[in-house]
Amino acid sequence: MDMRSLLLLALLGLSGHLPAEGKDPLQSAMWDFYHRRLLEGAPVVFDQRVRLEVPPFAEDARQVPIHIDASALDGEVVKIIAWAELNPIPHIFTFHPGPRLRPLLAIRIRVEQATPIRAAVLTRDGVWHVASARVDAAGGGCTAPSVVRAQEGWEDHLGQVLGGRFPRGEFDRLRLEVSHPMDNGLVGGIPEFYLDQAELRAADGSVLGRLELFPAVSENPSLTFEVRGDEPTRLWLRDNSGNEFEADF
Amino acid sequence: MRPLILTLLLCFALPAWAELDYRLEPRQIAEDTWLLEGSTDNFAQANGGNIVNIGFIVTGAGVVVIDTGPSRRYGEALRQAIARVTDKPVERVLLTHHHPDHVLGNQAFTDVPIQALAGTTELLRQQGNAMADNMYRLVGDWMRGTEVVLPGETVEPGVLEVGGHRLRLLGLGGHTGADLAILDETTGVLFAGDLVFYQRALTTPNSPGLDVWLDDLKTLEQLPWTLIVPGHGPVARNDAPFAQMRDYLGWLDSVMRQGAQKGADMNELMQVPIPERFAGVSLTRYELIRSVSHLYPRYAAERLRRVDR
Repeated sequence: MDMRSLLLLALLGLSGHLPAEGKDPLQSAMWDFYHRRLLEGAPVVFDQRVRLEVPPFAEDARQVPIHIDASALDGEVVKIIAWAELNPIPHIFTFHPGPRLRPLLAIRIRVEQATPIRAAVLTRDGVWHVASARVDAAGGGCTAPSVVRAQEGWEDHLGQVLGGRFPRGEFDRLRLEVSHPMDNGLVGGIPEFYLDQAELRAADGSVLGRLELFPAVSENPSLTFEVRGDEPTRLWLRDNSGNEFEADF
Repeated sequence: MRPLILTLLLCFALPAWAELDYRLEPRQIAEDTWLLEGSTDNFAQANGGNIVNIGFIVTGAGVVVIDTGPSRRYGEALRQAIARVTDKPVERVLLTHHHPDHVLGNQAFTDVPIQALAGTTELLRQQGNAMADNMYRLVGDWMRGTEVVLPGETVEPGVLEVGGHRLRLLGLGGHTGADLAILDETTGVLFAGDLVFYQRALTTPNSPGLDVWLDDLKTLEQLPWTLIVPGHGPVARNDAPFAQMRDYLGWLDSVMRQGAQKGADMNELMQVPIPERFAGVSLTRYELIRSVSHLYPRYAAERLRRVDR
């Protein structure tokens, strides 16, 4: 950590309204690298108010569910970045939830080996609030042969979306599964082919939230959002080959 | 320098080697019928993967071995344990299903027929090496030299007469899609394989569905058994293992069905409270996490519909 963030942390610590802890609770050798690379060395607190849920071990290294909930920081959240620290493709997503979306996202990912998982939540004051978890794994999830491509006629299902809307009081939960191989370029001569952009839009077309995806995300991505109210919502998706898909909730 | 390194190596390595002994003690559970009861723990370095129940029947025609254990070393120890009980040769091996703790001792039995349902052989062909790799990771040195040996013969459901024992073979599938249960009609002992877990949480990595499993339990329970040998956990002379299985499968099903109705995520279901009545069942949380991974996507998909334009 550089001198500036240390100073800032000290100041925040003195002002006393943040549960600041300057030390990586997982003591991962890769923390400093990702702090610089993905968070650009900006001030960081390890903050228990950010909930990051992962199973203690990956039963299927190709489909590891992670659940991130920064509702405790609601109203302040600018974006959320998640990564798997020891993955060949570490970056999972960058999520920009608008004011009508809850800062909550669940998604399934691939892990290549046992790894720390991080969720970093940027608040308006320029501080990243980081949650950490460790997932054990037999591994191989990133380099396993594609399950989707083994199914004949998978191209016909490309971009199909299965979805459901589940009212939960103030928010509606949206769950969706998109048919897409999410090829990460690490498997048998198959180049990268993955969904890299998603937007949730309101009926009037305004953007409720924006999501950048990376091929650490599992095949046939499974996503959960929560949106305020029960207005119809549209999902827009694009892959790195320029295919666009839309679905209505 | 070199002698020093060697001495150091020996100091560290020898105690580890010395401990790799399964100390198998066959226990007679019925006439001609012996059991090697494993622990109800998870795979670990401490138990060498001996978490499984292995049985054998000393018939007039030779010994029928039911499953071979988690490693080559176990298979060899099993063979020695059988030889301590009887002079009769091993007549055949019957495999209940393809999971690694039941079949990775096959290397010690390559001189006799190893038999299984056709589906079991196919699943072992597809998944055996990956499962063996994972076993090396979980139990380490105990696995040394272990390799997958596929069954050489296929058994069909029906009655098998061996040396004065009448064995009813049932081809079921709730646990893996290809599960062989064996009722020795001569003694009343039911080798249920992993269709029955008792005091140990059941596992679901290849289960075609909990409803299929419940149907299989109905089939087994109606058989004229007097003693149940579960795949994991203690033997029983009453229907307690069946009652626990039905209860547990029903609970698992309702957790996932209700979860899907509410749009729950996997991580939320992995954390649901375990009912107090399963307090005596080992590894419930661990196996719930696994079962949610295996089965929940199917439950969740049933609650979703096509929404793309």
